[in-house]
Amino acid sequence: MSMNEFDDKTLRERIADNPQPALAWLAGALVLVALELGRLASGIVQVGETTRFALGGIASLPGLVEESVASSLGEIAGLVAFGLAALVLLGIAAILVKWLLIPWTLVDRLGIEASTGVKDIIERVIVTGLLVVAAALVVLTPVGGVLEMAVSAFTRGVEWVSSLPTITSRELISNEGYQLPDGSWEGTFLGLSPAVAWALRVAVVYAYALVWLAWLWRGYETFRAHYREADWTPRDDSINRFRNHYWGMFGLIVVIMFLVMALWAPAVSPATAEANLYQPYEHEFEYYGDDGVETISHGDANFDSRSQGGDINVGIMSYDDYDRFHPFGTNTDGKDLFTFLAYGAQVSLVIGLLATVLMAVIATALALITAYYKGVTDLVTIVASDSIISLPRFLLVLLLSVLFMQANHPVAEIYDGGLLLALIFAGTGWPLLWRSVRGPALQVSEQEWIDAAKSYGQSPAATMRKHMAPYIAGYMLIYASLSLGGVIIGVAALSFLGFGVQAPTPEWGRAVYEGQSLIPTSSWHIATLPGILVVLLVTGFNALGDGIRDAIDPQSEASDGAAGAAGGGG
Amino acid sequence: MSRWRYFFRRLLLSVPVVLFGLTITFVIVRMGPIDPVAAIVGPEGGGASRGRIEERLGLNEPLWQQYITFMVDMLTFNLGQSWVIQPGRSVESLLMTYAPRTLWLGFWSVLIAICIGIPLGFYAGLNPNTKSDYLASFGGIVWRAMPNFWLAIIILAVLRQSERFFFGLSWQSLGVSNNLIGQPPLDFIAFTDWTTIGIISIPVGVYFSFSTLIESIKQVMPAAIVLGSAAMGNEMRIGRTAVLETINSNYVETAKAKGLRDRVIVWKHVFRNALVPLVPIITNEAFILIGGSVIVEVIFGINGLGYLFFQAAVQGDLPLVGSLMFIFIVLIVSINILQDFLYTVLDPRVGYE
Repeated sequence: MSMNEFDDKTLRERIADNPQPALAWLAGALVLVALELGRLASGIVQVGETTRFALGGIASLPGLVEESVASSLGEIAGLVAFGLAALVLLGIAAILVKWLLIPWTLVDRLGIEASTGVKDIIERVIVTGLLVVAAALVVLTPVGGVLEMAVSAFTRGVEWVSSLPTITSRELISNEGYQLPDGSWEGTFLGLSPAVAWALRVAVVYAYALVWLAWLWRGYETFRAHYREADWTPRDDSINRFRNHYWGMFGLIVVIMFLVMALWAPAVSPATAEANLYQPYEHEFEYYGDDGVETISHGDANFDSRSQGGDINVGIMSYDDYDRFHPFGTNTDGKDLFTFLAYGAQVSLVIGLLATVLMAVIATALALITAYYKGVTDLVTIVASDSIISLPRFLLVLLLSVLFMQANHPVAEIYDGGLLLALIFAGTGWPLLWRSVRGPALQVSEQEWIDAAKSYGQSPAATMRKHMAPYIAGYMLIYASLSLGGVIIGVAALSFLGFGVQAPTPEWGRAVYEGQSLIPTSSWHIATLPGILVVLLVTGFNALGDGIRDAIDPQSEASDGAAGAAGGGG
Repeated sequence: MSRWRYFFRRLLLSVPVVLFGLTITFVIVRMGPIDPVAAIVGPEGGGASRGRIEERLGLNEPLWQQYITFMVDMLTFNLGQSWVIQPGRSVESLLMTYAPRTLWLGFWSVLIAICIGIPLGFYAGLNPNTKSDYLASFGGIVWRAMPNFWLAIIILAVLRQSERFFFGLSWQSLGVSNNLIGQPPLDFIAFTDWTTIGIISIPVGVYFSFSTLIESIKQVMPAAIVLGSAAMGNEMRIGRTAVLETINSNYVETAKAKGLRDRVIVWKHVFRNALVPLVPIITNEAFILIGGSVIVEVIFGINGLGYLFFQAAVQGDLPLVGSLMFIFIVLIVSINILQDFLYTVLDPRVGYE
């Protein structure tokens, strides 16, 4: 919650005045975190690794630019291009650093006098300069080595934390074991059958997530009751309307179910992805065979539990020959389908959310700028967005991903093509979002308070951020959640055609592709279940969007051209 | 600003849109990560053949000159030829072969969507908040959320097993027997004889085969239903809202007060006005059809434009990809203009801003 600058007290001061409710809530939150500290830490490690990889990729961009320019225009032009590209990247980084880390303005501290617009630019130049110095220090001096050591020490610490037991860990409620001839189970949690143990673990995961949600809601209520300046804001009404909107609530619940499934994919899946999907021949487990307890690798066991129609089938809610339980059956190559789909949910949601966030950021920024300046900027953006829309979106996405993947471009390797897909979908999708919010943005730019802000001398960026963006944010939320479904379907469709997320990273569309010829047989589950999940998730996001729309603007009527256009193609 | 000036402004705006769209295509095709010559020459092609093809494609010229040549060629509809898929065949002749199948598919998918989506939506709007309304609305929402590729393979699987699901009624042998997968025969109509009056040629001999027509429709029907599914859901939704809006409007109230019969009110006052907001939805479908035809054509084995584009992209026939993209841009921009035109004619309130 951002506070407006005219309050005489900040949120921090208000909490300091009356710390008791906040502390009680914080204590509860800490208990909840402690229960899952290990998993949280391993999540941080994962995100950190990905970020590092992505940063490495971005840092290599100037080099790539240099190479391509140098090959056509010569060495010196290449060096100049390298410098320019690096500056542009650092400039973008400077905006982020300024926004996230430096709450006060350097220009004011230094006492530079200039008009507000110029001040903004000077500010950015200073931050960029500082970043250039920092980057040079890291690259050229031993500071880089020290930094490296500090990071690796921190990583080791987090990794140690991630080995702590958690309430939803596979070791605590284990579903991997074998059945003795007398019918009792060995190795599973409390000797339960693997099916029951698995169901129990899934139940614990969802219960934990539910408690967190309830606690967050309580936190919001505590904030509202004790720490918020205003007794009532229009947002309260929106939230109340949403709570009584059954269709929207249905959407929210479905989306949350999938989010939990994606976040806790290692916990809800009956087997680990590492052992079952990625390196099945390097992981072994025990089972009770003809000669008592034997060990076998996952790969060999998978070979005997394939689903290929007819008698070769491990259907839904069944055990294979090695006492492994498969809630959704197995794949054509014997991998557990539920594990595949849970990790696939992770992939779909990461790509979908990343693409949608990028799209929404671009569209919001453009909508603010075009509504504020109007005229030529507006016209140029109209031409640009109409041109991108005039290229059929799915064909463009298909073409780009085929080209990048066949050329083995380095971008196509990050997250097995996931990042590339997110970028492509964002690059081709922003015009639709921009079109949808252009109207509201133009409307708000006509308001008197914008004029007032202008004449008060507020800088354009601040006016847009403080006085226009909050008004657009609601609309953006609606259209973003409607277009998310389109991205998810598009990614699945591309993977179905073989040009989306590459094996072995699981993706729903690929499961449909593998199982398409088996639908009439006993192995119908392989292609059918992922499709049902896609329908459910997309319906969920659509319902959520409808709910938010009705909550924010009860007068509005369905104008879902954006959703329809975004959903097309797959 | 008058309506027509608004329309002409939109018309003028479409020129930079086409140019910029073409520029994007050029950037992707010529400056993208794939070398256009590599796929044409093949792995064992030597330097000599490489040089020859580079020269024929104009790739040895500086980039800006390539750009100008590309733009001029496209804008004068000098579309070039295919290099990999069917080497040496001109794009025009490829279009003549492949486009009719996509048009036939698109025609039926639009028609089916209109014939099912709009009546269902109107029905739901006329009976709001009843069980059948909920059923229709919910069905529409789920139907719209279904991915085309999944719907396609499910429909194929059901039709393949149709004896099992429809009490022994087999789809394959229903009416005319055919394969589920394959392209629809389009030779049900042909002109056998032409006569010339002055400079205009008029067909006099027409060959028409009714059974081939039926076969063709039957062949294209499942694919058309899948392709039109999203549009069908949209039309249903918008149709329902539009009817609800008109039914609560003052002129319907007036008509009721005048004592008009229900049938007249519904047909004359409600439906006609409810159709207006459906116009952009129907024209918007063209976008979806062009993009979505890839998946449907690949799965149903219809050798249409989408299939051609897919093959061209996958096999690296980049000159063909560029030309096809240009055709799609022109198609979509013309549909946009048509939509603006329809708006201008139908709805006098549009475009005063």
